[in-house]
Amino acid sequence: MKIRLAPYAFIAPASILLLAFGVLPILVALLVSFTDMNLAGLGNWSRIQFIGFDNYVELFTDASFWQALMNTGLFAVIGVPSVILLSLGVALLLNHSNSRFFRALRSFYFVPAITAIVAIALVWGYLYNTQFGLFNHLLSLVGVPPVQWLSDPALAKFSVALVAIWRGTGLNIIIFLAALQGVPKEYLEAASLDGASRIRTTISITIPLLRFAIFFVTITTIIAWLQFFDEPFVLTKGGPLGATTSVPLFLYQTGFSSSQFGYASAGSVVLFLIIAIVTVIQLRSRRADVDQ
Amino acid sequence: MSTSELRRPKAPTILIGAFLGAGALVTAFPFLWMVLGSVKPRSESVAYPPSIIPEQPTFEYFVQLFEELEFSRYLINTIAVVLISMVGLILMAMAGYGFSKFEFRGREPLFFLVLITMMIPIQVTMIPTYLILNGMRLTNTLIGIALPTLVTGFSVFLFRQFMTTIPTEMIEAARIDGAGEWRIFWQVVMPMSKPILAVQVVLTFISGWNSFLWPLIIANDERLYTLSVGVALLNQQIATNPSLQMAAATLMVVPILVVFIVFQRFVVQGFALSGLK
Amino acid sequence: MKRTRLVWVAPLAITTLALAGCSAGDSAAGNPDELTVWVMGDSSANFEELVAPFVEDSGIDVDVVAIPWDSVDQKFTTAVASGNGPDVLQIGISKLRTFADSGALLPLDEATVADYPNLAADTFIDGVSGDATAIGGEVVSVPWVADTRVLFYRSDILEENGITEPPTTWDELRADAKTLAKRGDGQFGYYIPQWDSALPVIMTWDHGDEIVTADGAVDFDTPGFAAAVDLYSGLYADGSVPTNADFDQTQGFISGAAPMLVSGPYLANAISSAAPELEGKWSVAPIPGADDDRSVLAGSNLGVWGATDNQEGALALLDFLSTAETQLTWYGLDGQLPTVKSALEDESLASDPLTAVYSAQLNNATILPLVPNWDGETGKALLDALNSIVLTGADRGSTLDALFQATGSTSIN
Repeated sequence: MKIRLAPYAFIAPASILLLAFGVLPILVALLVSFTDMNLAGLGNWSRIQFIGFDNYVELFTDASFWQALMNTGLFAVIGVPSVILLSLGVALLLNHSNSRFFRALRSFYFVPAITAIVAIALVWGYLYNTQFGLFNHLLSLVGVPPVQWLSDPALAKFSVALVAIWRGTGLNIIIFLAALQGVPKEYLEAASLDGASRIRTTISITIPLLRFAIFFVTITTIIAWLQFFDEPFVLTKGGPLGATTSVPLFLYQTGFSSSQFGYASAGSVVLFLIIAIVTVIQLRSRRADVDQ
Repeated sequence: MSTSELRRPKAPTILIGAFLGAGALVTAFPFLWMVLGSVKPRSESVAYPPSIIPEQPTFEYFVQLFEELEFSRYLINTIAVVLISMVGLILMAMAGYGFSKFEFRGREPLFFLVLITMMIPIQVTMIPTYLILNGMRLTNTLIGIALPTLVTGFSVFLFRQFMTTIPTEMIEAARIDGAGEWRIFWQVVMPMSKPILAVQVVLTFISGWNSFLWPLIIANDERLYTLSVGVALLNQQIATNPSLQMAAATLMVVPILVVFIVFQRFVVQGFALSGLK
Repeated sequence: MKRTRLVWVAPLAITTLALAGCSAGDSAAGNPDELTVWVMGDSSANFEELVAPFVEDSGIDVDVVAIPWDSVDQKFTTAVASGNGPDVLQIGISKLRTFADSGALLPLDEATVADYPNLAADTFIDGVSGDATAIGGEVVSVPWVADTRVLFYRSDILEENGITEPPTTWDELRADAKTLAKRGDGQFGYYIPQWDSALPVIMTWDHGDEIVTADGAVDFDTPGFAAAVDLYSGLYADGSVPTNADFDQTQGFISGAAPMLVSGPYLANAISSAAPELEGKWSVAPIPGADDDRSVLAGSNLGVWGATDNQEGALALLDFLSTAETQLTWYGLDGQLPTVKSALEDESLASDPLTAVYSAQLNNATILPLVPNWDGETGKALLDALNSIVLTGADRGSTLDALFQATGSTSIN
């Protein structure tokens, strides 16, 4: 009897917190998405009206929402492969040697991941500034006219994504490094005895053994990029003209700046469903893959 | 680990080292820019063309942070939030243990819900979470600030992954010896979990240290603001003093870097042993 | 079996109770000897210094909380949600409608403020006094500080280019800007902030049209607005203004890249502290005009939280803050202009050449229309339309038509 109570006791505190601050809010959002709640309604619940699917209809006919969806998709397509490939590449190189120099380098690659977003905003804002920023100054030294890093609608997407990629590689490099250290040495030695080159070994043996790590990093990175918020929020506030507005930023702006909570909740539910569906597809495909 | 240390580094190693070194400098460049900017006098920081190395370095802005602005208080609050988060660490370890080493009704669905929380965008949770905290009378308290992010699905997942690799025989043996479940957790499971604990300490420290959103919303009183909020406060519509802002940002980053450098070895080990093969 | 169910019930019960607890909207039991005040900005130190005499005289302890400008919406929203707010709060005029609509502010009708002579409407400048800031006929705030927009110019650079007097009309400004932009690459004549929704409105007013009809509905379809669009897009077409969104206007002014700007007193402070060596080389002038040289009146008011438990104390504090003396002290401490008429007429303000220009301009300035969410909706639609025309070459006719359609149904009522 004692044993059967134990597991519940162990998982209870964390589970309650996660349910209360994770699952419950999304249920609340679902509920609110069927209402017209705004700031007045927030203060006085009697002012809220049930409006059915109106918010969803309005959402899917809202050009800015579609723009945000397109942007989020584009960001994910640019960002996810970049982060994964960069992290894997750097981890493979870092794993080449265990010397102190190589180990010291790890900290440098981790720095972006530990810097608070408010600090990042300051620094990158100065670097990117069209008139007075360092990048354009360096370009001017080689005769290139100033680039509007954050003001040109197409370029701004790239600039903002670059900061996020820069930030996102740190943790993943560490994860891949760790996975690499788990690769049994015997396999590598056997391959080199057989005459395989370093590169060949890496491609044919090491990477397949990293399947789980790659899968884990892919899922978490995709989820992170679908929730892309910090960088556009601090660097461009979603501009110019909505070019860098992601869905989470759109939700934040409608929810907090415009106080249309019902509408924003509908958007949140849609985003959550997108993330869930994408994740489930990945999980299913892996299961199919493993079963083979 | 088997490469002989006595051998001189071969050509590929030097090449790779140089390449990585250059990459590391590029990656860390914004950080270096920030640190250098924090000691530039104001006139140099707004000068154009920008200089990389300050000509007349000064620490006056760091001093200003602590004397004129409230950064010593923000620092204390941030440390407090981090410490409270460490309690969350224990809770997550417990949950990871429970999910990995026990069979019980509802285990799969509950763990699934845990994973779901990783997919929920934070903008969704802000208002309902605030309402919950308000109902519990935890607004304007440090606990209220730390509570919403005390536990994360990601970390519970990591703990569970790791703990599945702990040999069940050891746990069974302890049970046969008559040890209670709680004792087993503390005296058998936790010591064996040192690598993953190291990872989580670093991750928890980072997120607690950088916490911005909740301190801002929950604290009615600027006396509860954390460092992140302090840095944001310096961001007025017209940036008047970049050096001061850089000093504040540097103050935020340097301690984490130190923590990471110290724990770095364990972090890599920890992820490795957590079964991420 | 029973225990399994219990585990599920417990968390549900807790959260239900929590939600129930807050739906009652109960406010924490307060102390009539305390007041919490929210001020916008980076530091509460100046304000604390300002209210020190009030604290001494009344024995009320004033707790000042500084709210970063970027976070105003969040803080207010969560305060409304929980019912827990401050006692007194600073409200930017652009947010006034939103805050008033939330129902969270105490109505400050004549009966309520009868005992407080300093809060009478005629104490304050016309642009913000009494009904000027009423929402739906109800006054829920009193004026606090004023802000306006005037012309900043680099007298040295203008002179070097043959312009001896700052422009007094918009046409002159456009011509002067064109001359100055010819100085070379990266040099401009003027700067149009892409986030500034007040500028096109000022231009419209100056060309003789309002942007709301007599009924209070927003109406951009006027000759005055068309003239404003001509001017706005003309400046871009002339190449007189930078096209990037992250142009830093302080640095631009200091470096000479943008020797003319329309901005507010805060810029003067920024310039003086960042570039003291420029003293004497720049000045301010009234905003250029056409048929009128009206500028925008901005600033902040003060409101009382509806659910406050220290209404008397709050009103007493508002009264204190509305005396000419306090307003002048605040100007000295923080550089924000008074809204109290007698304070503006004070010698100390008239003697400073810059302040003299501001005060004069305040007499010909009006607030932006108090429509719901100017910043997020009407103002944003206006900026998006203008910016898409000048930055991305969108068709003027159809873009403006879309703007008229989108904003025509918004009203101040």
